[in-house]
Amino acid sequence: MNVMTRPEELEACAPAGTFVERVTEVTHYTDRLFHFHMTRPSGFRFRSGEFVMIGLMIGGKPVFRAYSIASPSWSEDLEFFSIKVPDGPLTSHLQKIQPGDAVLMRKKATGTLVNDALVPGKRLYMFSTGTGIAPFASVIRDPETYDKFDELILTHSCREVAELKYGQDLVASIRDDEMLNEFFDTSKLKLYNSVTREDYPYRGRITDLIDKGKLFDDLGVPPLDPAIDRAMICGSAAMLKDTKALLEKAGLMEGANNRPAEFVIERAFAG
Amino acid sequence: MTFVVTENCIRCKYTDCVEVCPVDCFYEGENMLVINPDECIDCGVCEPECPAEAILPDTDPEAQKWLDLNAKYAALWPVITEKIDALPDAEDWNGVEGKLEQLSEKAA
Repeated sequence: MNVMTRPEELEACAPAGTFVERVTEVTHYTDRLFHFHMTRPSGFRFRSGEFVMIGLMIGGKPVFRAYSIASPSWSEDLEFFSIKVPDGPLTSHLQKIQPGDAVLMRKKATGTLVNDALVPGKRLYMFSTGTGIAPFASVIRDPETYDKFDELILTHSCREVAELKYGQDLVASIRDDEMLNEFFDTSKLKLYNSVTREDYPYRGRITDLIDKGKLFDDLGVPPLDPAIDRAMICGSAAMLKDTKALLEKAGLMEGANNRPAEFVIERAFAG
Repeated sequence: MTFVVTENCIRCKYTDCVEVCPVDCFYEGENMLVINPDECIDCGVCEPECPAEAILPDTDPEAQKWLDLNAKYAALWPVITEKIDALPDAEDWNGVEGKLEQLSEKAA
C-alpha cells in the first residue's frame, strides 16, 4: 500500500481541515511502542491532556486515529506516544515514519483529561496503562497542575518492564530540568510503576492494587478521599471501566468540561 | 460504536457539541443536528457538553431508534464544524416531549 509521507506531496493532497506537519524525532522503546516529535502548526492551541487526530494518506485515502498530545500546552513542538499493531490500519504504517517525513493532523484538539474538568483538590492521581501515559506526560509538565495540587501521583502499569522506560525517563527529565524547577516544584510529582507479566518490585493490575489498598500503602498515602483526592484515567477499555467503578465506590464522581467533578476518563483512547 | 443525537435537540440546536468534536462528524438540519455514525470515533467528549442532554451512546437502549435517523440525515445535511448561536427559543423547547413531529427535514 502506497503511503505518502513526502511533505510536498502530502501538502498537495491533504484533506480540508488538516495540517501537514514534519516529524522531527522518533524513538522506538519496544517492538510494540514508539514515541515521536513533530512540528507544531502556528496558531494551533490545545490544553494539556487533550487529544487530536493524527493520520497518514494510505492508498490515496486519509486514515486517522485519536492520539493524546504528550507535550504540554506551552511546548514548541508536539509529542505523541504510539503502539505498533502489526496489521493496524494506521500504526502498521505510522511506526515506519522517519525524521523529515510528514504526517496529517486534524485542526481540533479536545478531551476531558484536563485541569478544567476537575474541581479543586489536594492530590491528583493519574492512572495509566500502556500508551495511556501520553496525556499525563503533558499534564505533569503544565504549571497549572502544580498550582492546583499539592501532590501529583502518576501510576503507569504495563505488561513488561521495558514498556515503563518512557515514563521513567520522562519523570527523571522533569525532576532534572532546571527551567521546569523554576516554574514549579517538581518534588510534588511521584511515579508508581507496576508490571503484570514480568518480575518487578510492584506486580499486578492497578485496579487490584487500588482495591487491595496496596497502592496507598506503597505510596504512604491515605485511602481515596472524595474531599481531597482527584483522578484522571487513561488506559484500556477494561481498565477504564474497573478503575471508574473503584473511584465511584470511594465516593468520587465523574466530571466533564462543563460539569467539573472529582475524576475524569479518556474514552477516545484505544490501545 | 457511535454516539447519536436524540429528540431533545429538535428546535434547540445548541451546537456546544460541534465545538468539541475532533472529527467534525455533526451535520446540521434546519432545527436539529445529527452525528454521522460512520465518522464518529466514539470518544464521548460531546455527550456531557449538550445542554439538552440529547446525545447518547448507541449502547443506550433509548439510542437505538435514533441511529437510523442520524445516519439518514447525516447523508443529506451539510457538515457543521463551528459552534453557532442556539435557536432563538431553544430554552423554551428544551425538555418538551414529543418534538419528533417538529423535526424539519430541511438542511440548514
